[in-house]
Amino acid sequence: MSKVERRGYRGYIGCRPVFGNRTAQHVQNLVIRDYAQRHGLVYKLSATEYAMPGCYMMLNQVLEELPALEGVIAFTLFMLPRRPERRVAIYRRVLAAGASLHTALEGFALHSEDDIDRLERIWRVQSLQIPSLQSS
Amino acid sequence: MSGSEFPAGEFLTPEERNLSERFAAQGYLIAPVENRGALDQIRTHVAAAACSALGIAPPPDGKEGALLDRIHEHVGPDRLNGLRLSVIEAMAAAPWLRPAYFSLARQALSTVVGNELAMQRRVNLSVQLPGDTASLLPIHADVWSGDSPFEAVLWVPLVDCHGTKAMYLLPLGPNADLSERLHSFAERSAEDIYRSVEPEIAWMEVPYGHYLLFNQNLAHGNRENGEAETRWSMNCRFKGVFTPYADKKLGEFFEPITLRAMSRIGMDYRLPGGFDE
Repeated sequence: MSKVERRGYRGYIGCRPVFGNRTAQHVQNLVIRDYAQRHGLVYKLSATEYAMPGCYMMLNQVLEELPALEGVIAFTLFMLPRRPERRVAIYRRVLAAGASLHTALEGFALHSEDDIDRLERIWRVQSLQIPSLQSS
Repeated sequence: MSGSEFPAGEFLTPEERNLSERFAAQGYLIAPVENRGALDQIRTHVAAAACSALGIAPPPDGKEGALLDRIHEHVGPDRLNGLRLSVIEAMAAAPWLRPAYFSLARQALSTVVGNELAMQRRVNLSVQLPGDTASLLPIHADVWSGDSPFEAVLWVPLVDCHGTKAMYLLPLGPNADLSERLHSFAERSAEDIYRSVEPEIAWMEVPYGHYLLFNQNLAHGNRENGEAETRWSMNCRFKGVFTPYADKKLGEFFEPITLRAMSRIGMDYRLPGGFDE
């Protein structure tokens, strides 16, 4: 069986507000394009997460595509699922595929297991600012 | 004049009622464009822009469709997006193109959507080469991705579209069923969703010279183009200017195009002030 050539980084944007803040989709794409350009990454047209609360079907679709990608560039870290175990499962799935996960707005990149702690520390502090997230 | 010409409570004309009922029941309308000259002018402009981007001679008059159909003989999947972006830029740079596009289905839009409309600021272009798997649009409804449920899509091909060269739409009944069970696909892919509805999808047969006006709340998409020709189609969203907006906002995405005199007057009106309680 021939090996699939891995090429480019799939953008991942959303149409739900993140912690009450909305960013227009074309602006999310501009931030991702700029990040990709500054880091010398090949940007591939973004997948847009669906509007339904708690839905991550498009993210799942992007993760399915990982064998053909070098990685994913999400607009922001905080558009990932709110449940920590769900986020960690995503980080591990990216790493297991030999890919990387980038968050353009914050400029973070997940390349190894060590990076998980860093991202999750930031998420935990952010969660403290949002009362509804403190139980999750 | 007899009262029987005016059935009680019926304000739409029989033609309007018929069109509205067909759109609501089918989820789409396919009909000849209302302004064939405008469509031909758009196609000539698109073909010229494509030739310029590819560095090839423009086709003789009347041969634009044949050139677009066979564009895969001049460009492969690796250069396709560059070509598409060049042509979209040329479309956006033509100030006449959006009014011309609107004129393709002005009456139908007025009946189905309203006569005070907001139009998407950019007319989109899809180019799908035969056998190209990189330009696919997985099954989705625009409303899932931040479009308002009040929007309709006017989809107009620049070549004859049939079979997998066209797009598909999930009819109303199966779409309602999919909506009920969509959450069960949360950890699965769009391809799984497609497979679950594949027997029920309807492929839109839209010859050149016709438009497809469809309800974007219905799941739709395209598949690998298994026909021998390239698909070229444009799409653009329309909604009632005063209906609710979702993530695609007025200004950044939509623009009012047919505000009527009384709406303008009403928006400018201020009640006389200066009174004391």
